[in-house]
Amino acid sequence: MTAISADKLVVRRGGATLLDSLSLAAPATGSIAVIGPNGAGKSTLLKVLAGIERPTSGQVRIGDRDLAALTGSERARTIGFLPQHFEPHWDLGVAELVRLGAERSGQPAGEAAQRMSRTFELAGLERRRWSTLSGGERARVLLATVLAVDPPLLLADEPAAALDIGHRLDVIAALAHRGRERLSIVVVHDLDLAFRFFDRVILLDRGRIVAHGSADDLIKDSRLDDVFGVRFERLSTEQGWLLSARR
Amino acid sequence: MRTWSLLTAVLAAAIVLGVAAGHDWASPADLWRAIDGDKSLRSRLLVDWRIPRVLAAGLVGALLGLGGAIYQGVFRNPLAEPYLLGSAGGAALGATVALLVPLLMPQSLALPLLAFAGAWGATVLVIGISRVAGAVDAAGLLLAGVAVAAILSALRSFLMLALSDETVSLQVVLSWVLGGVQTPTWSALGLLVLITAACLGLSLLLAQRLDVLGLGETMAISFGMNVPRFVALAVLAGSVVVAAAVAFGGLVAFVGLASPHIARWLVGPLHRPLLPAAALVGAIVVIVADAIARAALPPAEIPLGLVTAIAGGPFFILLLARRLRT
Repeated sequence: MTAISADKLVVRRGGATLLDSLSLAAPATGSIAVIGPNGAGKSTLLKVLAGIERPTSGQVRIGDRDLAALTGSERARTIGFLPQHFEPHWDLGVAELVRLGAERSGQPAGEAAQRMSRTFELAGLERRRWSTLSGGERARVLLATVLAVDPPLLLADEPAAALDIGHRLDVIAALAHRGRERLSIVVVHDLDLAFRFFDRVILLDRGRIVAHGSADDLIKDSRLDDVFGVRFERLSTEQGWLLSARR
Repeated sequence: MRTWSLLTAVLAAAIVLGVAAGHDWASPADLWRAIDGDKSLRSRLLVDWRIPRVLAAGLVGALLGLGGAIYQGVFRNPLAEPYLLGSAGGAALGATVALLVPLLMPQSLALPLLAFAGAWGATVLVIGISRVAGAVDAAGLLLAGVAVAAILSALRSFLMLALSDETVSLQVVLSWVLGGVQTPTWSALGLLVLITAACLGLSLLLAQRLDVLGLGETMAISFGMNVPRFVALAVLAGSVVVAAAVAFGGLVAFVGLASPHIARWLVGPLHRPLLPAAALVGAIVVIVADAIARAALPPAEIPLGLVTAIAGGPFFILLLARRLRT
């Protein structure tokens, strides 16, 4: 069954075309990495799929329903969205943040908050305030907050870009791992991580999907070099392919 | 729990201080006699004059604290305040019109209605200006608010000069502008209690969504919130609260700014505890300020708004400096 599909999405802002008649469909489970150079439209695509921005034209469907027709709470239960930057305006405590995330289900939040606390090992952090957390701790807390309602669809916009490599691996692995039971669509900055951890990869450029397919197929595709404007050397290793870029 | 007991104890102490204070200080024994039903003039003055005034001051302060907390929550900005965003100025303009312009409805009805219309209109105007200017961030809002507040204040002065004559005392309007709680009748005090309780109840309905909005607009939308609709609703609620405060207490500066800050340090930033805590802190601050207004320069009375501005301004600068240092 198709979990989410987009039909001829167009987004224009201030004379610029950010998404150009983009269509896609994704099944109910799987991990999909969205890659592309700066300005390709990755963040815009994710925000439109999440219902955070409205497309100029075109439609997003969740299952067989129009995304725009879902109520706010239906959308909040169905789609989890991990933003690129997150800085709460008030210095909330960890337990308070996770609880706010859990409350959007409309169900009692306590049990979900406890489950998230165990999954993301927050026991030692619960009394801490956001401003006192390290980057890695923040990433865990944010994941727990967004995933507290266990949404069938997770959309994540380069959530690990600012983390050191160890924490980046943890976050990307957690997001990709989620694709075994749910659907995880993640904008990934680091191409090696995209090809190593995700089942499928979507290559985006100038608001269009240039190529999409399994990670193994796409990594050999020469359009990858064209879109990024570099020549990739593809190195075969035990853990999969590694990319080394040259001008 | 300890914080709430502390706040309640300080409020009780402030009420006792407020009732005792004046150009003629009352001793605890005087207070006890008055409450006990003593019929002497002194006791009757305490019961019919000072107690209602102190309670009214507390309720006006609670409304100001509540209004400030709602505004800071909805604008996600600790510097947002009914004053800086023009809503108090709008309410004062509305009230000035009600006091000076002959209208078809009784003044007791016109005053709160026009105060509300002014508060709401000014806030909507400020949001509109900052949107048109493309500066919806905190700085843009505050600048638009300062400009609107200045225009409203000029309009109010113009109305006062143009419309006051022998039949309408400028003194009435001036005492309003400078802020001051009049001694209410017991029935008016009852009305104020109901309004304050309703405002607190109304604002608590917004508490959880104010928290979600505080996560940022993107997160709030992804949590299912219709952000423009909620902001409009919360601004409307904030305007009702500010208008009620202005209708009963005139323009009292800094309480709406400082009370939520103090409350946030005491109970944290979640709005469900923050809103009632800000109301309690506001009540304490205005009761003490009103006591100072009555007792500092006997037999004259300093306008309450001057006391809160003189005490509140430096206090706030101090708090801000401390906050910036940490």
